[in-house]
Amino acid sequence: MSRDWKNLFPSRRMIFLTGGGVVFLGLTARLAELQLFRQQEFETKAREVRIKLEPAPPHRGTIYDRNGRELASSKRNFYVTLRPEVASDARDKQTRQAEIGDVIERIGRLLRLSDAKKRTLLQDALTPPAHRDVLVADDLTWEEFAQVNVMAPELNGISAEVGELRSYPLREAFYHTIGYVQKANEADITRMVDSELAAVGEAPDSPEGKKRAATVRRLYKHPAMRVGKQGIEAYGEMALKGEPGNERLLQNATGRVIDRLPSEDLAGKPGADVVLSIDAELQNFAIQRFAANEATRAGSAVMIDVATGEVICMMSTPAPDPNLFVSGIPSGPYKALREAEENPLYHKAYDGVYPPGSTFKIAVAAAALESGKVDPEQSVYCSGKAWWYNRFYNCWKTEGHGTVNLHRGLQVSCDCYFYDVAAKIGIEDIASVAKRLGLGHRYELGITGGKSGVVPNDEWKRTKTKHGRWMAGDTISAGIGQGYVLATPFELAVMVARVAGGPSTPDPRLIVSGLQVPDPTVMPMGEFKPGVLEAVRAGMFAVTSEGGGTAIRSGELDPEGKLPAPYTNARMAGKSGTAQVISLDKLRDSRGKAISNDKLPWRLRDHALFVAYAPTDKPRYAVAVVVEHGVSGSSTGAPIARDLLAHALRTDPGAKKPFVPRARDVAAAETGRQPT
Amino acid sequence: MMIRKDTLLYKLTQLHWFLLLTIIAMAIFGALVLFSAGSSAHDLETGLLKIDARYAIDHITRFAIMLGVALFVALLPLRLWASLAYPGYAIGVVLLFGVEVAGNIVNGSQRWLTIGPLTLQPSELMKIAVPLAVARFYHQMFASGRNALWIHVFAFVMVVIPVVFVLRQPDLGTALMILGTGCAVIFFAGISLRLVVAILVLVAAMAPVVYFFGLHDYQRERIHTMWDPNADPLGAGYQLQQGMIAIGSGGLAGKGFMEGAQKELEYIPEQHTDFIFTIVAEEFGFAGSMVLLVAWAIAILQGMQIAGSSRSSFGALAASGFVSTLLLYVGINIGMVIGLLPVVGIPLPLISYGGTAIVTVMIGFGLLMAVHLNRANDMTLRGLL
Repeated sequence: MSRDWKNLFPSRRMIFLTGGGVVFLGLTARLAELQLFRQQEFETKAREVRIKLEPAPPHRGTIYDRNGRELASSKRNFYVTLRPEVASDARDKQTRQAEIGDVIERIGRLLRLSDAKKRTLLQDALTPPAHRDVLVADDLTWEEFAQVNVMAPELNGISAEVGELRSYPLREAFYHTIGYVQKANEADITRMVDSELAAVGEAPDSPEGKKRAATVRRLYKHPAMRVGKQGIEAYGEMALKGEPGNERLLQNATGRVIDRLPSEDLAGKPGADVVLSIDAELQNFAIQRFAANEATRAGSAVMIDVATGEVICMMSTPAPDPNLFVSGIPSGPYKALREAEENPLYHKAYDGVYPPGSTFKIAVAAAALESGKVDPEQSVYCSGKAWWYNRFYNCWKTEGHGTVNLHRGLQVSCDCYFYDVAAKIGIEDIASVAKRLGLGHRYELGITGGKSGVVPNDEWKRTKTKHGRWMAGDTISAGIGQGYVLATPFELAVMVARVAGGPSTPDPRLIVSGLQVPDPTVMPMGEFKPGVLEAVRAGMFAVTSEGGGTAIRSGELDPEGKLPAPYTNARMAGKSGTAQVISLDKLRDSRGKAISNDKLPWRLRDHALFVAYAPTDKPRYAVAVVVEHGVSGSSTGAPIARDLLAHALRTDPGAKKPFVPRARDVAAAETGRQPT
Repeated sequence: MMIRKDTLLYKLTQLHWFLLLTIIAMAIFGALVLFSAGSSAHDLETGLLKIDARYAIDHITRFAIMLGVALFVALLPLRLWASLAYPGYAIGVVLLFGVEVAGNIVNGSQRWLTIGPLTLQPSELMKIAVPLAVARFYHQMFASGRNALWIHVFAFVMVVIPVVFVLRQPDLGTALMILGTGCAVIFFAGISLRLVVAILVLVAAMAPVVYFFGLHDYQRERIHTMWDPNADPLGAGYQLQQGMIAIGSGGLAGKGFMEGAQKELEYIPEQHTDFIFTIVAEEFGFAGSMVLLVAWAIAILQGMQIAGSSRSSFGALAASGFVSTLLLYVGINIGMVIGLLPVVGIPLPLISYGGTAIVTVMIGFGLLMAVHLNRANDMTLRGLL
């Protein structure tokens, strides 16, 4: 009967509950053991030997010049880090500050750190989280490194590490083009997270996206990791940096790395090697050429191989040594760089926009012939000034050039002739040809920055300025490259290359391999009417090689006839230009007399421009030179252009195939997308 | 105001509110712990407050739905559940057979069965179906006056059939729980204590044989790890050791809400599911652990009180069986996390993140409350399926 079961139930329940009680007592006893009696032990263990997965910075891709010379490479770096939680585990802020401060003080004495550096370090170390490594110093000598290693056991939280550091063996020669790397700040990290997510196509709020973002953040917070801040280093960051690996670190109670557990499955991939079309030797030569004379201490030069479009020289001087920036440049020297009147931080060749002055007459002459509105043989009389639209426009030569046709107009750079031509053809035809010659465009080269000059016309003036519609007088100024016309030295180099090479001239490029730099917006040159380019080239030849030319002293590239076959006795063809820094009205003294340039302070003097190509019969190299405050294009700019072209013909860098780096299993395939 | 006794409202007032509130309190505590599992007061990367309420929101949503299901189960007549006991058991066994021949393999175990849009884990269903069916069986036997040894043997066979299927998946944890629950019902049904002791001795004697010949390698390893967690700090013992460090470093009062350090280092895999107790212990300390244990003790005591108050043997035995399930859940989960038992995949009900355990447990609580509401009904056999 069920009564039997009913009677048994209370006792069974008692047995069950007793059993349950034993289970709960057992759990309680064990918890008490772990949490009450062995708490100290586990608290120590929580900070004791632990295995940590830490992102390992990958090997950054090397940047080479066209001959395989290393321009940016990785050298061995000894560095020292501090882990705040190990330096002090005190909860009390005062004690923490004192203890960490003591460690910093002692390591600072060892490494001779400045007081300011020690202060920022302490501040950094006191900012949570405390369980990350703070970089104390890097680029240490072997002796310093060994010393830290010996002292480390007494310095809680300090560890000496070996990693890689970016180094720029050619120093200032490539500061502007290659840029530099530095420790990533918050803005850099956010930028890299965004571009990384965009590259793999993951939404930032998806779980995978969040995980990837966290990985990128951790990588860039690694003490040995750097991020490209400008130039190619910044543009190509995604491809150059490679794929980070991981390493398993075995740490002891004080956070010191006891061992790195081998983990091949966690290895990263090195970044892509990048080869530039630039010839480092030519680049160095150009820098020395500028530096040789106090008057040419600031300026830039761009040389393009007309046959391939490869940029073989792109320099801006003066420049700081990028190696100074890698470990962080102190604020004093940086301020000096920023405030120097030579603008050393500025990429004058790519970011500098100047009124092209008379070099623009090349475009105006080409436009005159292309439009068909001007007969090249028809002469204009130059009396030193011309009356246009109710005012006088001066020619640079106050006594005048007499009768001038197109050929002579280019040769002697007669302003009156070009006022007349500009008025005849109008601004729209000038603008159209100037654009076809490559002006008014920012060329994507694989460098950060870069500006586009201005090729003005009516639409541009109405939409981009507040001065309303295009006036007839604007065309007169534009005819001699003044007024609204602006160009970068790089654009001027493209213009000369296109004039010299004709419609088949390849678009300019700086990066030969390692990075994809698409620039689909380049304006194609298109076919010119027969004889147009020939006439312009003849005018440019006259500038350097026919009596009365503005740069007649600088035409010869091979006076002794020593160059090999195609270049023997080569000459250059070119065009000078002068760009005013301040308007003419201000250039008068108290009695209204014009002040000559050499009486002005350096920073107010005119810029000197010269564009040229060589050899004249079969053009191979085109160059644009801008000497800031160099006063005269023909006497300051032309000799530099001549020397650069002569050097190029001597070494003929374009004749050799660019360097191909050793193939490696790199992270960024050719398809690696770049942030822009 | 008088409420008529046949209305739903009256039934609601008669619910076991103390048990219900205990459950709700625990689930809310669970949501709090899961909130902390995703969040951190000082994030490793940024040092700032990081909040991720995803687990907590999921958890509380599931609980709310299942609370509704539990109340539904509680308010339907207990006779209905007694009638459904055999069919439920039969369907469960058929589904287990289905898993055997056509189940999905997840994490190396074949536990899931996909029927159209539904994905079922029949072994989980059996945690409820087995005690119900066995209780129903005893109810029938006692009503017809049968009380011989063979009915216990028959009941044991009913228990062992699903256990064998579940073991083959292989899912040792669930198999043990079904076996334990079923045996608990047989124990409450009055099997001779002498026999129980004899069987326990036999099992103890057989244990080494099973250890060496009946277990998979990984299962043996887990048991070995329990004795010597340092044997392989990167492998099987890792989770356990890191979990114990988290628990031990919690101390008496804990490190505080969202202040747990071990969780941030992601040392403890599955911390929001099976190892959730490590967060409770690390952040709320010994005191917090005790509060949770006491809450479970209250739930279990209430359950046994309900079982004792039932006039029908079905109600009493089903309730006892389910309370045993609860004790097994809590005992095995916390026992393994604190290193008293080998690691098996058993979550901590109402606290752990995950859908299956909460379904089982809440249906069980619903049945428990149904037994409570129908405690005066001795449930004659007539009309039962």
